[in-house]
Amino acid sequence: MPAALKFDRIRKELPGVCMTLALVGVLTLVLFTMVWEIGLAHGSVVYLIPVLIAATRWGIVSAIIAAICGVLASAFFFYPPLYSFRIVDPQEVINLILFIFVAVVVSQLATRLKNQLEMARQREIDLRDLYAFSRRLAVAFDVSDIHAAIEDHLATVMQRKVVLFATARDASGSSGQRAGVTVPAQVLTAVVEVASGRRDANNGVTVTADSSDIWLVRAVSPKSSEFGVIAINFGRESQENSDELRIRVDAVLADATATLERLGVAHAISEARMRSQTDQLREALIGSVSHELRTPLASILGAATVLSAAPALQGEKKLKALVNDVRDEAERLNNDIQNLLDATRISSDGVRPHIEWADPADIVNSAIERCRNRMSDRRIVLSLPSDLPLIHVDPVLVQQALVQIFDNAVKYSHAGSKIFVAARAHDGRMVLSVSDQGSGLTADEQTHMWDRFVRGDRHAMTTSGSGLGLWIATAFIATNGGKINAASEGPGLGTTLAIELPVTQAAVPQMEGDADE
Amino acid sequence: MQMSEPSPIVLVVDDEIQIRRFLRTGFELNGFVVHEAGTGGEAIRSATLRPIDLVIVDLGLPDMDGSEVVERIRSWSSVPIIVLSVRSTEAQKVHLLELGADDYVVKPFGMAELLARVRVALRRQMRAASGEPTVKVGPLTIDLAARAVTLNDKRLTLTPKEYRLLQVLAQHAGNVVTHQHLLKEVWGSIHVHDTHYLRIFVRKLRQKIEPHPESPKILVTELGVGYRLAQSGEAENGNGNLTAAEESAKSET
Repeated sequence: MPAALKFDRIRKELPGVCMTLALVGVLTLVLFTMVWEIGLAHGSVVYLIPVLIAATRWGIVSAIIAAICGVLASAFFFYPPLYSFRIVDPQEVINLILFIFVAVVVSQLATRLKNQLEMARQREIDLRDLYAFSRRLAVAFDVSDIHAAIEDHLATVMQRKVVLFATARDASGSSGQRAGVTVPAQVLTAVVEVASGRRDANNGVTVTADSSDIWLVRAVSPKSSEFGVIAINFGRESQENSDELRIRVDAVLADATATLERLGVAHAISEARMRSQTDQLREALIGSVSHELRTPLASILGAATVLSAAPALQGEKKLKALVNDVRDEAERLNNDIQNLLDATRISSDGVRPHIEWADPADIVNSAIERCRNRMSDRRIVLSLPSDLPLIHVDPVLVQQALVQIFDNAVKYSHAGSKIFVAARAHDGRMVLSVSDQGSGLTADEQTHMWDRFVRGDRHAMTTSGSGLGLWIATAFIATNGGKINAASEGPGLGTTLAIELPVTQAAVPQMEGDADE
Repeated sequence: MQMSEPSPIVLVVDDEIQIRRFLRTGFELNGFVVHEAGTGGEAIRSATLRPIDLVIVDLGLPDMDGSEVVERIRSWSSVPIIVLSVRSTEAQKVHLLELGADDYVVKPFGMAELLARVRVALRRQMRAASGEPTVKVGPLTIDLAARAVTLNDKRLTLTPKEYRLLQVLAQHAGNVVTHQHLLKEVWGSIHVHDTHYLRIFVRKLRQKIEPHPESPKILVTELGVGYRLAQSGEAENGNGNLTAAEESAKSET
């Protein structure tokens, strides 16, 4: 709309023009006083000052107005005939030409300088953004981090809403709501087409969504599809402006992809994809091993327990002993499988604690209950104060760690010895300790006992086990924000293993006052 | 279970023939009548056609998930259901109990363990049918009709919330009651995630009802799942040791 445009232009120029007029007015007042007081003859050259100021500050329109006003003012006030615009002196005509010439030249120079300055500033911002972008890429942890970095970088540089889609599936699966931006359906369709290569979009596709909302859809990099497809919301821009924006998007993306290529990000992304597939494979393997090994084991153990209780076997001591061996070994095998599964879960980072408020006494008691068979020929000395604070942990994981520690205590002590089990709150921590009267630890054993698959040389021949137990216990306790300490007076003097867990007393939620009416 | 009573009928649902075989032998040796089903569909048909006292269902069935069998049977029948599972996260156990399973046993398991759970479930069913108002756990007696609790014949004074907690547990005596269920029943549904309420009240309640509160034998914790009021035999001799349980299983039949 030309009328509106003209109005816009006027509005833009108006402050400059007003300032110019004010400047000329003030100058005239000053000059007039000076001519009157000191008897200055000619003041017209002084009108170059507003011309220069207007040209550098407010552009060509204001400068020309300054020139004309200056000449008019000097003609009116200072040249005979005074108080008339009539010009007798040809000097004035030359002044006018001179003023206008200066106004045009200076304002052109100033505009050019200003543009260059603006460009330099923009370039500096771009470089700074690009630098921040590459720094962020350097610390990116996975593919989604990299994509988020690209998305944020473009959004910052373009000052527009930007949504990045990693794959065609990403776009077709999304409902259009992404990171607080609503992407119209037409744009999503275009993204899917570009991402799946059905539409060549190295230069981008412009989509006009409802109510003249313009979106640009293009691949981040023409060379590598790993970086995904972006959709940029231009808003309601004129054709010229959006062309300008497109050129700018090209420049920014060229810089960004250069950085991505330099850092070998495409390679990293495809490697990460492969890694996640390996993880999935491992998960599937764990699942099937767990099922395939345990199902026959369930039959073996179940059948053995039925046999050992069968009336026909009650008179047959030797046969019953055999059946009990089958049962015990099946149970041991089951424990070993469980340990292997736990260890695999830990090393693939699959332990997700279900944190709740738990009573430490409950955890200790149920761990003892779980080990009752194994500890049947040890004397358990239990010390559980009745006022233990609640702890915020995954009670099942802590119990499993405790079971591993009990197993260890039984393994390295002799029948009939005592096992001391105690819980106490100490120094902002909950300490669950298990002390045996067994073979103790040498200094060397104390340093290596936490490693995976490590078993003490002194016991390798006499006891069974995979050497995973303590490693699993440590990992489970670490998931709950705690640690395990070992202490021993020396070989043959018993071992104390202590689980330390944080007690966040202040954070225990208060019960409602009328909780028990 | 007395010998004069008719043999209880148990429906075993598992696709593994080996598991079904040892369960059949184990149950028959203990005086049960066994029906078998290899698929969920067969199980549901079987449960509708014949009178059944108890269902044992494996979670991994070829035609549907075991939890679906639980849900479908529970929609029209109150027959006790015990779930067998190789997967054993606490969240899954809670889910199964909420669907209406009475109990769960993790594979692999011993026959004695399963028999103990089966007896609890049957006893509960019988009590519900006969309207028997008292629950006895070792030295503790809970008279649900008179709202009276006695320990070694001495009357205990409980606060209303403590009694409500014990009452809910007694109604499910022998079976696990989930944290969520207890919190909802005692404190109302807005408190279902305030596990610490339970911890504090259970501790207080144990001080009153347990002969040795530091190692509770009556109000037992099922870590990560809920609480259980022990079955009568369990609380008296105090060791849920496999061999001891087998001895008692033998003497009872």
